[in-house]
Amino acid sequence: MIRESYDVVVIGAGPAGSIAARTCAQAGLRVLLAEKRQEIGSPVRCAEAVGKETAAEFIPLADKWIAAEVDHFSLTSSVNDTIHFPPLETTLVLERKIFDRELAHTAAQAGADVVVKARAAGFIKNGAGIEGVKLMVQGMPHEVRCQIVIGADGTEAQSTRWAGLKSVPQLKDYYSAAQYLLTNVNIDHTVCQYHLGWSQAPLGYLWVFPKGNNTANVGLVIAVDPKQTRSAIDYLNDFVTKHFPQSSILSQVVGGIPISNVLPEMTADHYLAIGDAAHQSDPLTAGGITNGMYGGLFAAQTAIEALRQGDTTRKFLKKYEKLWDDKFGADYRRLYRVRQAVFKIPEEKLNSMIQQVSQLDAKNLSLTQVFKVFLREYPLLIVDALPLLLGK
Amino acid sequence: MAAPAKSQVRSLVVVDYDHCSYCGACVAVCPPDSIILHDATLLIDPVTCTLCRRCLPACPTGALTLQEVTA
Repeated sequence: MIRESYDVVVIGAGPAGSIAARTCAQAGLRVLLAEKRQEIGSPVRCAEAVGKETAAEFIPLADKWIAAEVDHFSLTSSVNDTIHFPPLETTLVLERKIFDRELAHTAAQAGADVVVKARAAGFIKNGAGIEGVKLMVQGMPHEVRCQIVIGADGTEAQSTRWAGLKSVPQLKDYYSAAQYLLTNVNIDHTVCQYHLGWSQAPLGYLWVFPKGNNTANVGLVIAVDPKQTRSAIDYLNDFVTKHFPQSSILSQVVGGIPISNVLPEMTADHYLAIGDAAHQSDPLTAGGITNGMYGGLFAAQTAIEALRQGDTTRKFLKKYEKLWDDKFGADYRRLYRVRQAVFKIPEEKLNSMIQQVSQLDAKNLSLTQVFKVFLREYPLLIVDALPLLLGK
Repeated sequence: MAAPAKSQVRSLVVVDYDHCSYCGACVAVCPPDSIILHDATLLIDPVTCTLCRRCLPACPTGALTLQEVTA
């Protein structure tokens, strides 16, 4: 059921949108969560890995959406030397289809109206002011009035453009991504593998994330380069042929991810952008699930306060940008620079750095040790790394 | 005798639907917002497309190419 007016309309029922809708509904606001697809959580465009503790802040952990729990990480070079890292935060590999639907379910339980096959076609505007959203619901036009719109419509977001935000990323700050769900993979199912080497994934990286039951998400991101003649899926096919010749492909997902750091402005009058629509994926790894959920939480908290105060102008909504920056700003600026620094290292150097660290005793491996070896191999790293170490 | 009308050659971004997965990676990088994605439909508006080619390398499956067509 869709009413004629709401306090808040959230466009897009991914993790960010569902958290925003749930948080607003919990505060007693009337909320519509509109998903353009016919099924929430599908198709998945994601490597499905999240930190366990962070995920648990948003939803009670449940076996049905946890495909695997992994404590170990490895980094392998293009000549197959491997660094085994000691456990950091426990990582969950999700079943996003179920996870996303569960989150939307919690939003509905909190009182939000959830609707699928509901595509946003534009804003209802009065002059420059946003007064609602024009939806196409199962092919029928619905005009829904609201005080605040939260845009969670993903990488291909239209709402950011309608709100007048500068959302088109530079190509160097955009990953093109491809992933297979493979079965018959002969891997250690307790380790999340990363593979680094420009010949295998130019200005990007590959991953092998175990999903249990002898399956794994095997995928890659590459930074978009106009000179590049091969696409992400071509590189993925090469990698799978080389490493998993016996495997079968159960599904294929592809997509684009902005890694520019967040939009310089994530709000407009009566509007807040969250998740990939606001470029909230990590500018190094492009991980975005829990970060987008925080975006949804902060945007909702700001919207709730704005409605209480009766001020939904950008001037007030900018508080959301402050909340985001306090939690992620410094890290994101650092990660953005780390990516630029790492991408400058020639592949042969990268290989010898990984080779040297792989000789160290894995049990006592510390990041300082790794860094020392990396610096010895590639002294130029200090130029890029020093400001990071000093926390600037 | 009138000269035969000159055929016009123009460039277009063409979608290979055997490769397109409708992921929308191209949509985000299109400055004039010329790419329309609805479920399993991807269309490029030839009127507003500026042939900037940004969408071509962004496509994860290589489904977009610039082609010359004779109209």
